[in-house]
Amino acid sequence: MPKEWVVVYSITDFITVGMLLTVVAMNSLKRMESFLRAYTINSILLAALMAVSAFYLDAAHLYIAAAVTLASKGVAIPLLLRKVVRSLKITHEAEPNINTPLSLVISSVLVVIVYSSLSKGIFIEGFTENTLKVSISIILISLFIMITRKKAVTQVIGLLLMENGLFLAGFSLTYGMSTIIELGVVFDVLMGAIILGVFLSQIKKTFIDLDLDKLTTLKG
Amino acid sequence: MLLPLILIPLAAALVCLLTGNRRVYEYATVLSCAAVSGMALLMADAALEGGMTARPGGAIYADALSVFMIVVITLLSLATSVYSVEYMGNELEHGHVDGKAHRYYYMLYNLFVMTMLLVPLVNNLAVMWMAIEGTTLVSALLVGLYRKRQSVEAAWKYIILCTVGITFALLGTFIVYYASSGASGGGKGALEWTTLMAMAPSLNPATVRLGFILIVVGYGTKAGLAPVHNWLPDAHSEAPTPISALLSGILLNCAFYGIIRFAVIARASLGQPFVRDMMFLFGISSVVVASIFMLIQRNAKRLLAYSSIEHMGIIALSFGAGGPFGFYAALLHIFNHAIGKPLMFFVTGRIKGRCDTVETEQVSGVIKAMPLVGTVGFAGIMALAGAPPFGMFISEFLMLKALASGGHWVIMGVFLAAGGVVFYGLLRSFGGMFLGASPPPAPAELPMQISSPARIPMPVGADVNRRLAVRRFRGLLSGIVMFLMAGTLLVLGLYIPGPLDRLITLSAGIIGR
Repeated sequence: MPKEWVVVYSITDFITVGMLLTVVAMNSLKRMESFLRAYTINSILLAALMAVSAFYLDAAHLYIAAAVTLASKGVAIPLLLRKVVRSLKITHEAEPNINTPLSLVISSVLVVIVYSSLSKGIFIEGFTENTLKVSISIILISLFIMITRKKAVTQVIGLLLMENGLFLAGFSLTYGMSTIIELGVVFDVLMGAIILGVFLSQIKKTFIDLDLDKLTTLKG
Repeated sequence: MLLPLILIPLAAALVCLLTGNRRVYEYATVLSCAAVSGMALLMADAALEGGMTARPGGAIYADALSVFMIVVITLLSLATSVYSVEYMGNELEHGHVDGKAHRYYYMLYNLFVMTMLLVPLVNNLAVMWMAIEGTTLVSALLVGLYRKRQSVEAAWKYIILCTVGITFALLGTFIVYYASSGASGGGKGALEWTTLMAMAPSLNPATVRLGFILIVVGYGTKAGLAPVHNWLPDAHSEAPTPISALLSGILLNCAFYGIIRFAVIARASLGQPFVRDMMFLFGISSVVVASIFMLIQRNAKRLLAYSSIEHMGIIALSFGAGGPFGFYAALLHIFNHAIGKPLMFFVTGRIKGRCDTVETEQVSGVIKAMPLVGTVGFAGIMALAGAPPFGMFISEFLMLKALASGGHWVIMGVFLAAGGVVFYGLLRSFGGMFLGASPPPAPAELPMQISSPARIPMPVGADVNRRLAVRRFRGLLSGIVMFLMAGTLLVLGLYIPGPLDRLITLSAGIIGR
């Protein structure tokens, strides 16, 4: 095995584990600004992973994907969300339904489950094996955060983190789709973020608060 | 031929964006829907002649199955656009929406139609995912149009749940891509449906199985299959009524179309039994869950929403049963449901205009007060309940035939029991509404304080008469549309017209090959 592949292994593992850690850290954060920062770091790491792979695979279209990811998820969406969060004047997440230590434990259990169930070798091998496991862990932990947190903003961030996990999974499975598809999916995510921002301010207007506990007028 | 189908609604949306003249953008919307319907019928004609084949590598692609979906989408959006002019016009004149929201509605309406038309037109499965996600984004804005508490809550639930669900569908799409890349010896994979179909037998079955499960869960969320249906009753009950009709009549089918495309690949790779079991699981749970919740609903629109879940379950069951009858029954049921459910939403909208509520216990004697609408609506309820002589009886009968010939007696028994509960639930709530003795309160006087955009002066004298005439005219038009829809349901219950039969047979052939 050529030497540079060893380098790729360790760099990609380093970056993906960094992404996993930012998501796990979401469990113990309370301030909205910290949530946003965790998401931003996560997105930048995703873009970095694409750029590194572009370098080693020598694939020009991956550079484009990395640049688009950085511009949209690393810059545009965090700025948009920061603006929304500041205009809504919410600083902290309410006390979650499940306390911090327990949710950290649950998150790690999720990672263990993913690693043990996917290691049966259903299909993946090569240097992206870890990446796929990490990405599915990210998707599940983000989903868990969405379920347990109460503020609507946190749900949006959880959803966006989930989409980062999805991008990572897509990347590990396909080494980057064609550029047009990459762009299209990013466009959808961006539009989704904008529309969710619109709804956040509408919830604030109609419900006074952004606590999802109050969104219970519709039942059955 | 195919590209204008997308461009015409886009152009109409631009017209709505650019002009503030209500007549202009209303006409633009109806005309654009009429134009795409005409084109869809021409395409159907060409498809029957065998003229529609895929160019290899082409991005836009339409076979008989796509054409069938396009016909359903365009015809229903035409009917709904005519009804929108009446319903949203009344909402505007009663001050439920302002002039800006009214225009915004039409712009989004056109974009919504465009994204839905894109779904069956694309060959690339990732682009299809984008189109389906696009329908969620556009329609979420439409669901939240009223900006009341409930509508914002419903829209929020809708966009969050469907986006989460559809994320899994994209993961499934990636996994199928990975399978294809493995099949082609580790090289580039494929996302084009035609290419995937060609290599389906050589795909790794374990990979395809995982991908297909994610796809069914993901698109199933959007298609309203239980147990991932939770957004559906809220969104359907809080959206403006014409949008409820579109959501229920065609949006759910668009998502189900996504499942169908992948199911065809999964069948070729894994064989029918796996696809059948997945479809039975989701189908029977949808039917059962919907039938139980239909017993406790007091709101007509929510009741209709649960009925949609039931009908999506029926489509899934027919699709799972497969065979010569099953696929045909699934597509025929898609067609019937796409007519019957919007019709009932239209009727509900009319009732709301008259009685100002759609709570089933507060409305009664609709047939006495509004004989024509009441009769059409009662027929629609009988059709939704699966009673003869309406179209849905035929498609459900064919489904039972498919289940019986496959020997799935347990599924059949559970379905029949749940179907009985549904029949009772629908008739109990709607029976009182339509047949009850005391007539609803007299219609309110035409409000003279018509809230209109600032640049239109308040109507006086002859102007009021003209407005009344306009209102009567658009009421007449949407009434004609409703009669046509009820008539079609009746005709489909008696015999299936040749061209439709051939189009469905061709499409079923694509699924069942």
